[in-house]
Amino acid sequence: MISRRKFLFNSLGLAGATCMGSVFTSCTPSRNVTGMLTGPNQALGHRLHQEIRNAKVEQTLHHDVVIVGGGTSGLAAARYLSKSGTDFMLIELEQRTGGNAQSGSNEVSAYPLGAHYLPLPSLNDAELLHFLEESGAITGYQNGKPVYNDYYLCFDPKERLFIHGHWQDGLVPHSGVPSADLDQLHRFQSLMHEFKQAKGADGKDAFCIPLTACSVDPAFTALDKISFSEYLQQQTFTSEYLWWYVNYCCADDYGATADQVSAWAGIHYFASRKGIAHNAESDSVLTWPEGNGWLVNKLREQVKETIVCNSLVFRIESRGNKVAVLFIDGNAGVCTEVITDQVILATPQFINHRILSASFEHPLNAASFNYAPWMVANLTLTSNLETKRGEPLSWDNVIYGSKSLGYVYANHQTLGQRQQQQVITYYAPLLGANAKDSRTFANAQTYEQWYAWVTKDLKTAHRFIEDGMERMDVWVWGHGMICPIPDFIFGKARTNASASLRDKIHFAHSDCSGISIFEEAFHRGTQAAKKVLGYES
Amino acid sequence: MSKRLQFVLLISVFVVATCGLIYELVAGTLASYLLGDSVTQFSTIIGAYLFSMGIGSFLSKYFLNDLIRWFIRIEILVGLVGGFSSVILFLLFEQVSHFRIVLYLLVALTGILVGLEIPLLMRILKDRLEFSELVSKVFTFDYIGALLASVIFPLLLIPYLGIMRTSLFFGLINIAIAILVCVWLRKEINGARWLLPQAIISLVLLIAGFIFSEELLKFAEAQAYHDSVIYARSSPYQRIVVTKSGADVRLFLNGNLQFSSNDEYRYHEALVHPAMSMVKHPKRVLVMGGGDGLAVREILKYPEVETITLVDLDPAVTNLFNSNALLTDLNKNSLHSSKLTIINQDAFVWIKNHDTLYDVVIIDFPDPSNYSLGKLYTNTFYRELRHIVDPNGLAVIQSTSPYFARKSFWIIDETLRQVGFNTLPYHAYIPSFGEWGYVLASQTSQPDSLGLLPENLKYLSRSTFEQMTFFPPDMAHTESGYNSLNNQRLVQVFEQEWSNYQP
Repeated sequence: MISRRKFLFNSLGLAGATCMGSVFTSCTPSRNVTGMLTGPNQALGHRLHQEIRNAKVEQTLHHDVVIVGGGTSGLAAARYLSKSGTDFMLIELEQRTGGNAQSGSNEVSAYPLGAHYLPLPSLNDAELLHFLEESGAITGYQNGKPVYNDYYLCFDPKERLFIHGHWQDGLVPHSGVPSADLDQLHRFQSLMHEFKQAKGADGKDAFCIPLTACSVDPAFTALDKISFSEYLQQQTFTSEYLWWYVNYCCADDYGATADQVSAWAGIHYFASRKGIAHNAESDSVLTWPEGNGWLVNKLREQVKETIVCNSLVFRIESRGNKVAVLFIDGNAGVCTEVITDQVILATPQFINHRILSASFEHPLNAASFNYAPWMVANLTLTSNLETKRGEPLSWDNVIYGSKSLGYVYANHQTLGQRQQQQVITYYAPLLGANAKDSRTFANAQTYEQWYAWVTKDLKTAHRFIEDGMERMDVWVWGHGMICPIPDFIFGKARTNASASLRDKIHFAHSDCSGISIFEEAFHRGTQAAKKVLGYES
Repeated sequence: MSKRLQFVLLISVFVVATCGLIYELVAGTLASYLLGDSVTQFSTIIGAYLFSMGIGSFLSKYFLNDLIRWFIRIEILVGLVGGFSSVILFLLFEQVSHFRIVLYLLVALTGILVGLEIPLLMRILKDRLEFSELVSKVFTFDYIGALLASVIFPLLLIPYLGIMRTSLFFGLINIAIAILVCVWLRKEINGARWLLPQAIISLVLLIAGFIFSEELLKFAEAQAYHDSVIYARSSPYQRIVVTKSGADVRLFLNGNLQFSSNDEYRYHEALVHPAMSMVKHPKRVLVMGGGDGLAVREILKYPEVETITLVDLDPAVTNLFNSNALLTDLNKNSLHSSKLTIINQDAFVWIKNHDTLYDVVIIDFPDPSNYSLGKLYTNTFYRELRHIVDPNGLAVIQSTSPYFARKSFWIIDETLRQVGFNTLPYHAYIPSFGEWGYVLASQTSQPDSLGLLPENLKYLSRSTFEQMTFFPPDMAHTESGYNSLNNQRLVQVFEQEWSNYQP
């Protein structure tokens, strides 16, 4: 037993080291770029189905509720519970909370490691609006419309697209695009606009956020049975510009292609954002140098006393009327059990399935739950990203034809005049025939390979970007985003796996929605907390 | 031997053709840049260039002996003339009154030299190849070279090298060919040892030109100022140039005129005194921008002022204006006043972190010509401004020209009113700028007439101010909307309005 424990904590230590990353210098001899390759604590997570299962409990705690997972949904659940004065504890695997919305920083700027913006929520997402008001992102209301904090609304200029050797404004291709293609793009946009206005027979919006508020009228849910590309083919869309744009959008929200996501999910991207503001256009977004790191830090501030980080929950089992949550703390190496009435699982389903004891009979069809891997690179540069060819450096900068999503300018929301040093965040969902192979590929890449990937892509638009590059940090998300494949959002696998178990175990992760966005995670977390409190069944 | 010679000479044809077309494109592009009307420029340059090549071809018959040596000589000359053509044109543009003559002379000279090359080469090759083979090979390489040049010029050379380094670079290639031919065919060239040193000296000249092209360009730009440059320096934020002509001293930031000492009193009296005189007993005054100290000079005419705070981003400007004798004469040494505190910080960052009140705030930022500067003209900035203007105080904002950029001017006014200021827009005529605009902004009452002005003002008086607040129809209020961080309409409108007045 002793030797087993020793082995265990060595591996925890090892996992910590992996998390710290290994430092590389100068990947090509002539350049002096530093940086490291990191990612979430996969090694620790992967130990789940191994030795830890038999670790011996050394300490017992009692809480009314345990939240497992400190990403957006877990923190949102914690926020809601803390308002009601409920006694709870939140256990997080990583060194810090935040999940996909984590952020980093260096001497130049804070920057996102994942999610980096929040579209203006619609007025019926009341709890999210409350939270934005608490955190100062909404400063008040005028004529019933929220007034957003001007410093957090994305500054002008917002978006530019490098196409035909030139930066155009906006991301929908138009510069040098033949008129037949423009016609198709316009037809597509008006089609999406119709979906945005559409209501089902039940009187609900056909597409909205949160998804639980959407109409279940078969006229629309039938779109979940086919892929988005089948739908586009049915609509006789042939323009390569349109297909590029649509695939870009699917990659942006789902880390997948139009072949892979359902038509309902594809349309949802274009038809669900119905934000309203007193002081901004409805398509505005909220953003910060650290991306959604700002939002999760605000959530964290409200509940930080209840959080335990660097701790791996490895089993949840039934104890008579109660539930026992067993976890190992990576620092002290103590195995603790928490006896509790209810558990909120704000962890992805593939984790839930491993930690829930078989007696709960969690009905998971793992094949339906696909998670797209992502690579995010943060670059510190003095290179000139202003070219004389077209629009100036914007918040979101996309390269037409690239498989990446381009880059976001992290210093964009700073107030001062342009500084020489800047940080940009480069996003690449790893698209492939299936997520598992893409993940294997992603995990096998070295820092040097990622470096070459990123610079090659960026050189399309910025020939000399390497000349002013000082640092590149690469972050790989093995399970970045849930992918809404056909028949997932309105299918049985998702609803079955997300239903509460014995009124004691509640699921809160955004994969229960099928769409990996802040709003859904926040909503799911809040709903799970309401279930715990008996407000919802 | 003859195979090698053939190869070297055919490669020369290819390079010569590429270089030849590049020089033509450089001349055309430069003429379009500097003179405008690109269709005319390109058309006439191409015509003149082709015609000159014809002259060159005609003249080739007068070269009878030592053809290879002549070829090398011409090659060196083409490299020098073509290579330095853009440098010469840039430098001479502001210097000579008949720029077109220089331009076409240079085009003609390059054309004649390039026109000589191919006939000479054909004659060198004529005994070594069948005539049909000769014509076929020479012209094939010639036209491929032309294609290469026409493709790489717009796609690679102009974006990445810029026009000056492009022509210098191809000059280098011409010389390199000369050296190559010299070295490889040294046995065929009798007693021509001095050719190689010549070529090498030319090579060094071109390399030096290439290395210092940035400086050359700056020098050429400095020539663009009509008067003699007495100070030029790049700070991390901008390029600062001071010129002097007779008694007239001018400051340029990034090439934009900031003031002329002949009439800056008009600009600064109009900027400072309406606000200063309307506020009773102004004690605390804030100046944002205005690192030249000229606004401060005017403020110091009010003895009741106790403190002046000057927030200017660029220490290079404030240091220049408190040390250069010519400039401290101009601002009456105002930057050394004991009442003054200079803060070199970004205005937006500074104002967001300050909430002490000022009786008068004078805002003299550069025009909103880009999105970074545009932030300083947003409702968010003006909301921060409201926090630091005393309830009985006033702010005044230089607001670009209501004549050249009418809508931009009224956007600034509208933006100030949108955050709750009462405004009084006015304008003044400054000969070196044209018609210029300002907006007075008050927290409470509507500002209207001037208070007691200091003595000895040269421009501003009660009756001048009455005229200044009147806007004739071509500058009158127009519906504009306001400027915000998430929708900087001002920057777009400003760019569009001023582009109508570019020469």
